[in-house]
Amino acid sequence: MEIPYIVNARKDTGLFNAKIAIWLFLASEVMLFGGFFSAYVFMRLGADYPWPERTLPVLPGLINTFVLIGSSVTVVFAWAALKLRNWRQFQIYMWITVICALIFMVLKGVEYNVKFHHQAVRLKDYTVLEGHLAYIDGTKIEKNRIKLELNPGSTITYNNLRVHDAWVEEILAEAKAAGATLKLAAEVKGAEGFSDADTIYFAKDADLTVELLDKFEKAHIKARNHNQKIRTQALRDAWKVAEKQNPNKSNWEYSDKVSIDQEAIKSKLLTDIPAATFVADKSFQISFKPRDVKEGPEQSKLRDDTVINAKLLPSPMDFHYLDAIDFQYLVMKAEKKGIKPEVAIENSWLLKNDPFAREAWAWHQANVDELKKRLIKDYGLDEKGNPNREPTHKELYRIGWKEFAKYGEETHKIKLSVTDKLKEEFMGPNYKARNPDEKESNSHDSHEEVAHGDSHDRVTFPHLSVPREQIGFASKFTPSWNTYYAIYFTITGLHGLHVVGGAIVLAYYLFFGRRMYEENPEWLCNRVEVGGLFWHFVDLIWIFVFPILYLM
Amino acid sequence: MSAHAASSNSHDHSHDHDDHHHNPGFLKKYFFSTDHKTIGLQYGITALLFLAFGFYLMMVMRWSIAYPHQPLPDWMGCFLTDNWKARWLVDGKVSGETYNMFGAMHGTIMVFLGIVPLGFGAFGNYVTPLQIGAVDMAFPKLNMMSYWIYLAGGLLMCASFFMESGAAKSGWTNYSPLAGFADGQIVNQWLAGQTQWLIGLVLLITSSLLGAVNFITTIINFRARGMTWMRLPFFVWAMLVTGFLLLLAFPPLEAAGIMQLMDRVAHSSFFMPTGLFTKSEGLADLSGGGSPLLFQHLFWFLGHPEVYVLLLPAIACVAEIIPVNTRKPLWGYKSMVYSVLILGFLSFIVWAHHMYMTGMGDAVSTFFQTTTVLISVPSVVIITALLISLWGGSIRFTPPMMWACAFIPMFGIGGLTGLPLAFNLVGLHLHDTYYVIGHFHYVVAPGILFGLFAGVHHWYPKITGRYTSRFLNHLHFWPSLICMNVLFFPMLVQGMAGFHRRWYNGGDAYLAKAADSANVFGVIVRDYIDLNIVMSYGAWILAVAQIPFIINVLFAWKKGRKVENDNPWDATTLEWATPTPPGHGNFTFDVAVYRGPYEYSRPDCDEDYFPQWQAPNKTGEESNEKETH
Repeated sequence: MEIPYIVNARKDTGLFNAKIAIWLFLASEVMLFGGFFSAYVFMRLGADYPWPERTLPVLPGLINTFVLIGSSVTVVFAWAALKLRNWRQFQIYMWITVICALIFMVLKGVEYNVKFHHQAVRLKDYTVLEGHLAYIDGTKIEKNRIKLELNPGSTITYNNLRVHDAWVEEILAEAKAAGATLKLAAEVKGAEGFSDADTIYFAKDADLTVELLDKFEKAHIKARNHNQKIRTQALRDAWKVAEKQNPNKSNWEYSDKVSIDQEAIKSKLLTDIPAATFVADKSFQISFKPRDVKEGPEQSKLRDDTVINAKLLPSPMDFHYLDAIDFQYLVMKAEKKGIKPEVAIENSWLLKNDPFAREAWAWHQANVDELKKRLIKDYGLDEKGNPNREPTHKELYRIGWKEFAKYGEETHKIKLSVTDKLKEEFMGPNYKARNPDEKESNSHDSHEEVAHGDSHDRVTFPHLSVPREQIGFASKFTPSWNTYYAIYFTITGLHGLHVVGGAIVLAYYLFFGRRMYEENPEWLCNRVEVGGLFWHFVDLIWIFVFPILYLM
Repeated sequence: MSAHAASSNSHDHSHDHDDHHHNPGFLKKYFFSTDHKTIGLQYGITALLFLAFGFYLMMVMRWSIAYPHQPLPDWMGCFLTDNWKARWLVDGKVSGETYNMFGAMHGTIMVFLGIVPLGFGAFGNYVTPLQIGAVDMAFPKLNMMSYWIYLAGGLLMCASFFMESGAAKSGWTNYSPLAGFADGQIVNQWLAGQTQWLIGLVLLITSSLLGAVNFITTIINFRARGMTWMRLPFFVWAMLVTGFLLLLAFPPLEAAGIMQLMDRVAHSSFFMPTGLFTKSEGLADLSGGGSPLLFQHLFWFLGHPEVYVLLLPAIACVAEIIPVNTRKPLWGYKSMVYSVLILGFLSFIVWAHHMYMTGMGDAVSTFFQTTTVLISVPSVVIITALLISLWGGSIRFTPPMMWACAFIPMFGIGGLTGLPLAFNLVGLHLHDTYYVIGHFHYVVAPGILFGLFAGVHHWYPKITGRYTSRFLNHLHFWPSLICMNVLFFPMLVQGMAGFHRRWYNGGDAYLAKAADSANVFGVIVRDYIDLNIVMSYGAWILAVAQIPFIINVLFAWKKGRKVENDNPWDATTLEWATPTPPGHGNFTFDVAVYRGPYEYSRPDCDEDYFPQWQAPNKTGEESNEKETH
């Protein structure tokens, strides 16, 4: 059996199979990305926070645009070369195409990487701060974590139906490092009146291990299993009796009178062991991501229902480098309440507590005044005497890292080389070069001194410690930070996967196409044509992605 | 363009599609086959198994609704392991959470794993290439991949029943924010049932995308010589439209699925609003700012065309069976074709009639109300054409014809009960009640499923060379017809009385036991709550009624009455021109088509049917036929 129209087109439709298929596939891809683009529109129109405008580095995006457009051209050249049966030329053009794809992905990778290491936090008063968290020993970035301290006598209670083993191991590792142990708080034995009365299941002082918790789970499930059968049977018997007593009645009429005789079956049941409590003998500290723990001063609860009776330690977020202060959200909230933006900003926790921020803000205000004057000069006033153009909210209420950099250059005469400046366009702020006076290995204990201390140090990006109670929501610049970053990562990520997929297919033709070229060059032509159509589509998507995510 | 030309250009290159020369191994023949017929059967068998599983979930739910305070009976619980029961049942009773899990998975399995693969995957795969005179699908390997991806997605979804989190439990529509924080207690979100559901969904969409591309390409490029567009059997037209619906409607749901997956594993807030507070999580530690409404839009953008993806294969089967068994042409073939095309188009712009109660705005609601009323026009044209096709025919009540005849009124009830729901105002009262459940179950169960049963019996002789048993079919058909109505008609009544579709205890919690209670709603609930028991008995008997079908299909495989020839129903379409069962490559002669698909009872012919492939005789009886290329 032969599948027809693989190589040559069917004459009345004028199409070979794969060409129909790729156009259909692209139609469905249009609908897929259409779904994401509509999501973008929905998110942006419905945003109840200041949508981040022009927040991504434009230069790498622009380069990527031209790289992709260029590769779309070369893929056509490669196809044409193949049509002319010029293998060498095909190879050259295909190489260029594949290399373009590589460049695209590398630039994208750099862009992603910067985001993944950039921290943002929204304070309770809706001030937004951005920057890098503190370094513990020069390299390791301290995470945003809730710290708990267990003291002798502190307990951890596990839910035997659901234990996240990795956390158990984390806690055990911390305990071991501090020389502490966690032991079963009390003997677990069958309860009085039950069939297993006085059976000792777990002896007191058993060491906490993942295996022990597994045994607890097994014992608990076994008891539930056993009891379930007995209770089910008892309930069934009760219903049989009730049905006899209530002939010609619907079961809802007497359902509240049917119940299990608890005392009668008690002696047949096994004891449930729903939880296991362990007690610490020495002090040690543990920490969890804020998302995973509902913390309280004396008792905290983990996501998997583990209850920890431990002291909550101060868990501030320490910015090693603060590189943006954003009052847009705060102003948005203030305006809704009818509070003047300036008043709200003056009353913000940040300006009240951080002298550096106050200075920077004053400097920013002066800049804004200059900008206002310049706008009047450039665009004039309307007939009522109001300026035709006024600064945007972003210009008014946000000090971004570039403005911080300018502030540093003006006040501290910090100069950067041209290469360093170019690098900043791709990698974001160059902290080392812009904080020249910084001592080499900063332990994070020194932050307070720097933050509130000598502002005459040549520092562009200051330290700042934000106490936990001030934090509303914190995240890296990942999809969780806001819906803008969510849609940005989702669309570009999916587009990136398309680039990778397309490049793999094209590279396959380049490296493994020779045999087919010799046996049936027209077939290879068809394949390259179809691959090229897909590649154009990938390019086309980027043409839409670039403006809506980078420029608008 | 002819098949001659196709074979002439296939000699100048060599590739390995012609594996029918050597005997493929067992695995290759029955599991990793690229033959559209084997794949069709794989789809069919798998889909029927999933349907049975979905049916089982429904029975457990119906038990919980009818007898909320009684333990699950042993015959129902025997499929569950003891440990599973220990975790998910309370004293043997179905808890609300377990019910939600069963409800969500019942819907998902029936729609995505049962009906669509049975209609489109099984019948579409088996019949379409045969009916257009093609050797196979355009992309046999993709076809195979499509099946295996479907199976993987389906198993992944169902396997989550046995995970710590249990299976998905936020309805088959998986609305956020409910679906966003469900299973939040599971730390590794990749191992939560709710996440598995999404991954399964993305796989299923990929599978149907491959299928759709394959179908449309095949129909466009693989039609036999002389098979012009208006000579295509209606079945093929329906498959073409279904293919386009799958191709274009599924991707937005894939987008929604990916975004919800991001919400779950990357903690984004696509569908999570600001300030979300839940009992289990407290104030959500999320950025917020997302839109739950967006999920509904994206979901129903698929969801509505999906209804037609379910329906069209069933109508397609019925439209093939009625002409064969009435011995007269399909009435209004052309208007049916145009209607199905319009139906396909309109189905893309009616989705928000599922969302009248979301507060999306009056103007939007009005628009969708209008388009929804419009779409009833082509549906009615199709169903009317089928009905008129019966008129004046000499009907043979073969097993397929019984099902096809039952399809028309049953689907009619489903369709007509949908009309009131098109209106905003009625939506206020009926939204999320059992009326809606009754409406779409009438469409899907006695409607679509009956159409597909008809298809099973119709093509069974081609697939196996044997007829199914008429006696067993009677045992299957009559109880099914009665029980379907016993099961679904009371839903319409309960729905109008205000019964909510998600009550796991069938309204027991709202009940006012005293007749003179001041709780007016409670009194209404009391008046109608006993219907739950009636419906549940309908369900049990319906389950029993399926046993003859299973016996019939299995038994007839080896023991059924043998067919007399390759065209046992005296049909006109091309699938009956193949050997029985068709071999790899399908046709043993060079296929050419000379006339339309439903040439029955032509006065100028001796026989009462004139097959598409039969060359015209010399007397010029085909002189009115146009020259074809």
